[in-house]
Amino acid sequence: MQDLENELRGLVAEIIEKDPSMVTLDAKFFQDLGVDSMMTLEILAAIEKKYKISIPEERLPQMTTLREVLNIAQEYLAKRGQNV
Amino acid sequence: MFDITAIQKFLPQRFPFLMIDRVLELDPGKKVVACKNVSINEGFFAGHFPGKPIMPGVLIIESMAQAAIMLFYSDREHIDKKKNLLLGSVKVRFLHPVFPGDQLKISVEPLKITSAAAIVSVSAQVENQEVAKGELALSIKDE
Repeated sequence: MQDLENELRGLVAEIIEKDPSMVTLDAKFFQDLGVDSMMTLEILAAIEKKYKISIPEERLPQMTTLREVLNIAQEYLAKRGQNV
Repeated sequence: MFDITAIQKFLPQRFPFLMIDRVLELDPGKKVVACKNVSINEGFFAGHFPGKPIMPGVLIIESMAQAAIMLFYSDREHIDKKKNLLLGSVKVRFLHPVFPGDQLKISVEPLKITSAAAIVSVSAQVENQEVAKGELALSIKDE
């Protein structure tokens, strides 16, 4: 859980070109970190690639903080687990 | 496979900025291979560089981006020309220079495509040698 959070923090920070320390669980991507919709899609694509999961684009609007990203990643990681 | 007339139905770019000449392969939503013939008559060679013509890397990226638009539209029935096409991110490495007389073969494959955006992996080759490769992110927006 903690590992996944830190991995995702690193992944998000790299894409949005901010220091990981700024990507707190509740920092708002759009307002606090200057993230736009294109970067959000890049985050989604990077998570899909890294964890070999598939996240539908309907979830994009929910990806507004690291906490939400973490929740969504966990949800689809769990689904992948069931399918194996 | 797609000549210039067909390409112009997909791409809004025109002279002097239509940067692909032919589509060689098209697997809708999965892969596009396009060709750009690089002629000494290209205007940019006059200044880039005088006496030492080399195709500017940013224009190789433009060719890649236009091939990516073809891929993005290839599995869509309706193309709304009022929407703006925007390049959001470019990560490209240049491996070899491109000279007049070269034929750029550009391959584009999707990494992620949504209804309004695409992240694609791109590669450009000249005579089977890779000259540039990378990733582009593009989107369409109303305006």
